[in-house]
Amino acid sequence: MVLQLIITSLAMGIVYGLVAMGFVLIWRAVGVVNFAQGEFLMLGAFTAYTLTEVVGMPMGVALGVCAFIMGLVGVVFHFMTYWPLRKSWDMTVIISTIGASIALKEIVTLVWGPAPLAVEPLVSGIARFMTVSIEWQFLFTIGIAAVLMGLVFILLEKTYLGHILQAAAQDQYAASLIGIPVILATSLTFAISALITGVGGLLISPIFFVVTTMGGITGLKAFAAVIIGGFGSVQGAIIGGILIGFIDTFSGAYISSTYRDAIVFLCLILALIIRPQGIFGEKIAEKV
Amino acid sequence: MIIIIAVGAAIFAPFAASNYLLRVINMTMITYICVVSLFVIFGMAGQISFAQAGFWGVGAYISAILTVDLHVSPLLAFFASALGAALLPAILGIALFRLHGHYFGFSTIGVVMILNGLFQNWKPVTGGADGIANIPPFGIASLTFNTEMSLFYLILFMVTAISVVTYLIHQSSLGRAFMAIRDNEIAAKCMGVNSYLTKIIAFTISGCYCGIAGSLYAFMSSYVSASSFTFPQSALYLVMLMLGGYQTLPGPIVGTALLMLLPEWFRFLQEYILLIYGLGVMVLMVVMPDGLIGGGKKAYEFIRNKRGWTDAIPKQPGNDAG
Repeated sequence: MVLQLIITSLAMGIVYGLVAMGFVLIWRAVGVVNFAQGEFLMLGAFTAYTLTEVVGMPMGVALGVCAFIMGLVGVVFHFMTYWPLRKSWDMTVIISTIGASIALKEIVTLVWGPAPLAVEPLVSGIARFMTVSIEWQFLFTIGIAAVLMGLVFILLEKTYLGHILQAAAQDQYAASLIGIPVILATSLTFAISALITGVGGLLISPIFFVVTTMGGITGLKAFAAVIIGGFGSVQGAIIGGILIGFIDTFSGAYISSTYRDAIVFLCLILALIIRPQGIFGEKIAEKV
Repeated sequence: MIIIIAVGAAIFAPFAASNYLLRVINMTMITYICVVSLFVIFGMAGQISFAQAGFWGVGAYISAILTVDLHVSPLLAFFASALGAALLPAILGIALFRLHGHYFGFSTIGVVMILNGLFQNWKPVTGGADGIANIPPFGIASLTFNTEMSLFYLILFMVTAISVVTYLIHQSSLGRAFMAIRDNEIAAKCMGVNSYLTKIIAFTISGCYCGIAGSLYAFMSSYVSASSFTFPQSALYLVMLMLGGYQTLPGPIVGTALLMLLPEWFRFLQEYILLIYGLGVMVLMVVMPDGLIGGGKKAYEFIRNKRGWTDAIPKQPGNDAG
């Protein structure tokens, strides 16, 4: 039983980690909290539904296509919410993302209808290890998400393109001075953020019903994960996500299933009071 | 001049409007009180807070529980709401204002989520998902406010009172302390402002407003349920404040009126309303980042300069010879 909880926590946690990573990438690149991040998750899940149920692709192909579509969504989102406001105060961008999250929810309702949808599991069947049985899809979720995170890491840390993205994230003006096209860097960062979050949505679409509200609370918990892990740190986002996954699942099982959300956010407040900079801290400190 | 017209319109409006429209207007005014509370803590003191909807809920539930379960008089419940919803942020502020910058804002997200969780699940006290029903109408002595029209005047009175109080705060040294903290906290501290205490005061005042709004809401709709007091609701208050203009006093009026009344006029668009709403927010932020009041001011200046209503050359020392 505990092993099942651990696997479930890991699976949920790693998806929270993907969404949290999405938050952090956008935050590091443009200094703005994207309140529509949860809606990327929702879009990924709905796209997964259409690709697998309506078009009939096998899940593996759907994964790639969904990732590509979500990347495009990220770019469009970038040009609608961030780019026109890049010179203004960041609160305006935040409001714009709030508007975008409402608009996205409505677009999805108009296109897919208001009824909850169901998606087939990634891999059906139940694995059995000794006395414990775990659904294969949880293990696959963990695996695919881990691979995706690894890929993003390699992109950011080891490749030239990744260094461009990081440079633009650290200081847009300086980056533009040395010839980096900032517009490319920021739009690509948004694309990656939307991509990983959308794939996260695809991964959890068989576990929960696909509804327009699924982005909201998951997005907020992923946001809590970002803060606990250290606002601005990608590793922190992942660790924070997994931590939140554990807190969420275990408190739901052992403490109270009704209060599990409240407990997660109580941990957020406690973490903020005890260690506001999170586990890994902010890389660039605020100038006084 | 505008104020006189507005006041006149306000006093005679209920006679011209339908009951449904009155209900919308009443709800708009209650929402306005919450947006003004956000104006105090964010527009003036610069601390973004997403907890307003939670405090609104606290006020509503206090009034509901006191009048329904404990049979307290509505007037007393009203004051208890205002007090309770002011006490909570005061206590929370002691812990949370040790956080600086955006971290305080994040913690308020946690606050509203926890409050919502309590509202949804604490069945013995808040009725859980069923909420609390059959709240008696508000009454003072022999007057009972149980029609939309009487509620209109009651809420209008509270709205006017709160607006006047906010204006007075804005003009006072306390208000200047808030704005000093908003503009540059370190400089404010150098000038002798106790930023920690002042922020707590701002938070308390804003909580009090929300408590009043919550109490009025409970009496108006006779039923409170946890689904009204959510994080998206707080985000909505923020959007209204930003759209109207977060730094000016008429800002909340414009923002709230726009976002509550326009959907009613555009109701024929039915299922596209929310989509246009979301897109509209995005577009408005691009076109008018300072909100409508700020945009209006800019437009006014633009017209002034184009028409040559001001002197072409500003008078400056040494300029007169030319």
